Amino acid sequence: MMTKTAENIQQKEASQLGFYIALVSWGMLFAALFLSYALYRFQNTQWPPMGFEKVSLLWPCLSTGLIALSSFTIHKYQVAFHSIDRKNAKVFLGSTLFLGFAFLVTQKLLWLSLENSGLVTSSGIFASILHGFTWIHAGHVVLGLAGLIYLLTTLKSDHLGHVRFENRVENIIKFWHFLGIIWGLMFVVLFLI
Amino acid sequence: MTYVHGKHAAPKTFLSKYVFSFDHKVIAKQFLWYGIFFLFVGGLMAIMIRWTQAYPGEAFPVIGSFLFPETGGVIPPDTYSMLFTLHGTIMIFYAITPILIGAFGNFCIPLMIGARDMAFPLLNMLSFHIAAVSGIILLASLFFPLGGAAGGWTSYPTLSTLIGSPGSGQTLWCLAIFVLGVSSTMGAVNYITTVISFRAPGMGYFDMPLTVWGLWLTAILNAIFLPVLGAGVMLLIFDRVFGTTFFLAGAAATSGTGDPILFQHVFWIFGHPEVYILILPAWGIVSDILSFFARKPAFGAKSTALAMTTISILSTVVYGHHMFTTQMSPLLTQTFMTLTMTISIPSAVLFANWLGTLYKGSIRFDTPMLFSLGVVFVFGLGGLTGLYLGTVSTDLYLHDTYFVVGHFHYTMAASVLLGGFGATYFWFPKMFGRMMDEKLGKIHFWATMLGLNGIFFGMMVMGFAGMHRRLYNPFVYEHLEKLLPISTFVTWSAILMGFAQIPFVINCVISLRSKKQAPDNPWNVGTLEWTIPSPPIHYNFEEIPTVKCGPHEFGNPNLPEGKDFQYQTEDLVKA
Ligand SMILES: [Cu+2]
Repeated sequence: MMTKTAENIQQKEASQLGFYIALVSWGMLFAALFLSYALYRFQNTQWPPMGFEKVSLLWPCLSTGLIALSSFTIHKYQVAFHSIDRKNAKVFLGSTLFLGFAFLVTQKLLWLSLENSGLVTSSGIFASILHGFTWIHAGHVVLGLAGLIYLLTTLKSDHLGHVRFENRVENIIKFWHFLGIIWGLMFVVLFLI
Repeated sequence: MTYVHGKHAAPKTFLSKYVFSFDHKVIAKQFLWYGIFFLFVGGLMAIMIRWTQAYPGEAFPVIGSFLFPETGGVIPPDTYSMLFTLHGTIMIFYAITPILIGAFGNFCIPLMIGARDMAFPLLNMLSFHIAAVSGIILLASLFFPLGGAAGGWTSYPTLSTLIGSPGSGQTLWCLAIFVLGVSSTMGAVNYITTVISFRAPGMGYFDMPLTVWGLWLTAILNAIFLPVLGAGVMLLIFDRVFGTTFFLAGAAATSGTGDPILFQHVFWIFGHPEVYILILPAWGIVSDILSFFARKPAFGAKSTALAMTTISILSTVVYGHHMFTTQMSPLLTQTFMTLTMTISIPSAVLFANWLGTLYKGSIRFDTPMLFSLGVVFVFGLGGLTGLYLGTVSTDLYLHDTYFVVGHFHYTMAASVLLGGFGATYFWFPKMFGRMMDEKLGKIHFWATMLGLNGIFFGMMVMGFAGMHRRLYNPFVYEHLEKLLPISTFVTWSAILMGFAQIPFVINCVISLRSKKQAPDNPWNVGTLEWTIPSPPIHYNFEEIPTVKCGPHEFGNPNLPEGKDFQYQTEDLVKA
């Protein structure tokens, strides 16, 4: 491992700060969606609107389980990266990737089951929200997965624990946790209540 | 904090030097040319709009028959809607934003806080390239069947849904705005971090020039509110492309209705802060330049910075004043009205500080100063006329009239444009190492000032007489017929303002081609960028400076004979 210079430390602080600001921006994107959702709920006296039933919780629950588990495995990867534990880094990054893809699969199954029960995109605001909001989130998950795939390069022999990768590793992991939190909110707001 | 940003080697090839440059100074120039290009496009559109308003049914001169051959050169009604939509969009997002924030934000922030570059140079470069992609999408949208977006720059549904605007123009408009939003957010993250983490040792927040304050607050507002607009246009894209019904109400939505008004909420939650996003950099620049050319410390500099901060905070909770006519509950309209009026207090502080800076100063009327004084005048007018629009009772009458158009052009077009020109004349020697010509600059200023006041004051007069802002030919209505002479006057003022830009272009060209090197500190100003050569070396500072005093140390009686300012790197002189 290279020794850290004052420059590394300053760049690390800036990187952390910058990424938190970026997360605030991303948070505002989703906050705007939740705000719209709240207004739709207040305007429609009956929810789900007449003619629709609550969505089956099977796929949303499964999605929630998968993404929660992936937050745990990515954390384990982070620990392994810092302690230069190549075996665990491999196992946990691999399983995070697997869980991430599995999450997308359950999302696709959710969209199919919505369509089968008559909730196609054009069938009113209820379906619009269920589809539109989960699309936007899933789009970000794709972005997150791209980040995770990039992290595979840290598995090379002397890259683990290296300062050059430290900030990127931290930021991609933060982003992944952020996506988990947003999904958790969506799960509660769109499907539970 | 110790500053240790590395000195990276200067790039050698054309591509790495001018196209894929990481250097904030080069990226600033890229944004500058980008903005000036769109300023020309948007300006030409404005002239075409004005022509229609003065000579309805007559062919647009010179290029009309080339652009609209099927009507013999007359601008058709649907094209007219497209023109005012894209004029607004281009001027706000593609001209003002790149010039004030992209160019001067990039150029000034690192130089004025004593940094070698932005915190994230790669992000900075990507930010420009993404903005370029967005510009291409927007321009390309004009060439699709049915043409570009025509729902106004606010793109309210149902005008902007498939019912109001079929065709791809509006969809591409949404996409372009979303992509540009990503670019600006990336820039904002960079600016905020740079200011917080990379100030030179010794520089506290109140030692930063007010220009940096303005740019920094702008970046904060951008980072918070652009994503809200992003969410709005994203949902609009879904409505248009995938058939969702977020913004469709009533019969159009089969069950459980969407809400067109929701888009207005989302748009203005972003849109009102956007007004300040545009004006804050200009305020900061003007606050500095007034002090620099009055040879006096900025009056109440700390309170100016705090007033700008207060305005930024308040700007987040007043957006409802754009929606008084949407059947909001009276409780809400009155709340928004009261909050809006509250903004007058910090604005008055800011304005009084400007006057305080000028009071008893030994004013030098160089071109940057003339433009800054112009900002003081037009912003005063724009701010005061805003009170009528922030008040519910008067707004109900004035809403959607030319009074609104005149008002917001005074605040965010006139003042920002003049501020941008002032900044250009002021930093040109540092950017390019050449001085701009003073005589041409003064002609540019007076002709622009005359033109723009004719335009925007004339607009407010028409609006007060009840002229609606988006009619293709208002003069077919009996009650508006008599306004044609004023409208013609506004048009000729616009043409004057258009021609007034010729001296500026000539000035740029001859200054850039001149052989005479600008001095390092032509204006005798003490901020950090003037302590280094013009133009600065690749990584700005050979040694990172240590800051020992504020940015406006002028006229200290303890200074030695013949010197009326001191650099920020010098110890404050004491008796
Ligand atoms: Cu407003």
